[in-house]
Amino acid sequence: MSQPQIAVDLILKKLTETTEKAKTRAQKASEILFSPLETELSPTPYQVVYEEDRVKLKYYKPSEVKHKYPLLVVYALINRETMLDLQPGRSVVQTFLDHGVEVYMVDWGYPTRKDQFLTIDDHVNGYMDNIVDFIRDRCGLPKVNLMGICMGGAFSVMYSSLHPEKIKNLVTTVTPTNFDTDKGLLHIWMKNTDAYSMGNSYGNMPGDLMNLGFLLLNPARLILDKYVGFFENMDNKGFVENFVRMEKWIFDSPDVPAATFRQFITDCYKKNLLIQSKLELDGKRVDLKNITMPLLNFYGQYDHLVPPEACELLTQEVGSKDTEDICLKTGHIGIYVSSKCQKEFAPKIVKWLKEREGDGEDGTSEEAAAEAGAEHEPTGQLETSAEVAAEAGAEHEPTGQLETSAEAAKEDKSKKKAKSASPKKKSKKRTASPKGK
Amino acid sequence: MDQSQKTEGGMESLFAAWTKSVTDFWGNMAKMQPDVPSSSGTSEESRKTDPLHKARKGWETSNKVMQSLFSSLTEPENMAAMMKGMDSMPEFVVKMTEQSWDGYLELQKQWADHATRIGKHTEAYRFDDIDQNIFRTWKEIYEKEFQKFLHAPQLGLTRFHQERVNRLMDKYSIFRSALNEFIYMFYIPIEKSVGVMQEKIDQMADQGDMPANFKDYYNMWIRTLEGHYMTLLKSPEYTQVMDQTIDALVQYRKAKEEVLYDFLQDLPIPTNQDMDELYKDFYLLKKQVRELSKKVNREKSEK
Repeated sequence: MSQPQIAVDLILKKLTETTEKAKTRAQKASEILFSPLETELSPTPYQVVYEEDRVKLKYYKPSEVKHKYPLLVVYALINRETMLDLQPGRSVVQTFLDHGVEVYMVDWGYPTRKDQFLTIDDHVNGYMDNIVDFIRDRCGLPKVNLMGICMGGAFSVMYSSLHPEKIKNLVTTVTPTNFDTDKGLLHIWMKNTDAYSMGNSYGNMPGDLMNLGFLLLNPARLILDKYVGFFENMDNKGFVENFVRMEKWIFDSPDVPAATFRQFITDCYKKNLLIQSKLELDGKRVDLKNITMPLLNFYGQYDHLVPPEACELLTQEVGSKDTEDICLKTGHIGIYVSSKCQKEFAPKIVKWLKEREGDGEDGTSEEAAAEAGAEHEPTGQLETSAEVAAEAGAEHEPTGQLETSAEAAKEDKSKKKAKSASPKKKSKKRTASPKGK
Repeated sequence: MDQSQKTEGGMESLFAAWTKSVTDFWGNMAKMQPDVPSSSGTSEESRKTDPLHKARKGWETSNKVMQSLFSSLTEPENMAAMMKGMDSMPEFVVKMTEQSWDGYLELQKQWADHATRIGKHTEAYRFDDIDQNIFRTWKEIYEKEFQKFLHAPQLGLTRFHQERVNRLMDKYSIFRSALNEFIYMFYIPIEKSVGVMQEKIDQMADQGDMPANFKDYYNMWIRTLEGHYMTLLKSPEYTQVMDQTIDALVQYRKAKEEVLYDFLQDLPIPTNQDMDELYKDFYLLKKQVRELSKKVNREKSEK
């Protein structure tokens, strides 16, 4: 039996140091945790200007309006829109206001048992259409700019197809439209889930149950490592405040109306009807070729909930000639909350909308039309932050051999470098197409 | 030599004697391990999969590391480092002891588990060979021996009520069984990652490349664990168990509600079923009113 060599002196030294640090950290942490903390969400002032059933419309007014068309933001039915206004310095809403954009944001509220029969049609052709009409009347404009997030993005795509005359420009962010992919675990699981009986059994799909499902997407990181990270940093007040804010947001999960949940799982996840222009809402077909307004499509390269494969086909399938894909080096939530993306995401939208304020026949301004022909250059590569690295870790595929974190991180970086994130114009060739087609 | 130096010197020699006896003890223990014949054949392949062989391999690894650790402790510079860290030792020793006992108890449990499934094993990053026999066996026993009593036809005035209660008991048993299997699946990656870590530590110890920082071990383990979970969660075996659990949960909830409705019938309390019917009427009426009012508004604006 050969004698292994162990640097016991170093191990002991480190252990002693760690013990000392832990003591000091615990003392400081208790002072922080028992002191008043700034963990409020949605700090930007707003007005509720429209209400219908549980749904509210929030209005954020900039100090000076610099854009002709207001922006309507439609969030998903899962979790809450407060994520767009998480805290000062990390607020997409505040960035829009700073650039003079009037923001209207849909707050879907908390569905109760009486909302269980509401379908996607009721959300899209009911609530959304009423809200769009309300804003058009209020602003005296024929059209509004529409921005959708995740499931809200899918709703926005459906709405823009069914009511193209009311939408000036469409921005989709982390929006699943092609569900025929095995890249994300949700896509694998949802294909087999009996959504019908689940919806029937619960009335609405409980938010807590969905949250449990999201935690199970990566239990090692989301149930264990995340809190180890918290304990390691709980002597840092700023870290604690940010962490608690995110916890508040993550676990603030309204239930999803049963009929909507069933329809989304069946028609989108299982049958992949949306990208094939075969989805019907109340008998009306959602034809993506009707989307003729400019379209800006954002998605995250390391998004494990809505992977790029689920997002990037949209721009090929719509009828618009002015489309742009932007793949950011981040995950599903990082697009909105990571400090790196704050500098890239909302300012890009503002600039893109400003360039398309003109009232030309196709809705594009001269400037935008000129640029549409040219290959768009990336405005600046996003650097890999710790958050991105963590999300990249979540995407790591085990190869059967144990790798050290450093080796694996290095491999992740090199793999992802090969797929370098850069904005793409529609003119770029693509090879992927939905299998269902 | 003053008193403190004397004490320190005394402690050091005491410590050296103790570490020597511990090193000897682990050495003797290694020699004493019995040569138990393999339970699943004599070939190299069957030896690898034999739980006794696996247990012995694990024992050898731990033994090697232990021997090395204690022999290294007798080095003068390590002894000095040890003495230097004495301030925080009491707390540290309590924690270490606690962890050692936990580890020992866990090891005992694992041995017991291995003994109950001789000839079966799980490989790292593979989930198509999960030992689910225990759950299948339990399910079969339940279906053959117990379920028939709950499915037996009921007679008399209260037959419907009794049938609903029996159905609830049946569905609850099936749900518990499915849930146990689901929870067990989440435990497997932990077991597998511990195995991979043991091998990795063994390799690193052989190469004299052991990280000094605990955080490095943790990072290595969490990454291994994550890899195992990713493989598990993508596997058809997991999806199947998840779907079974969801289905069993739905069936159990339905059965529970039926029994609850029976009890609530005699009380002036509306059930979910009653309310759902009302909500549906309310929803359809509201939708109709909205459509009609839109139509009226459109016609008004056209005039």
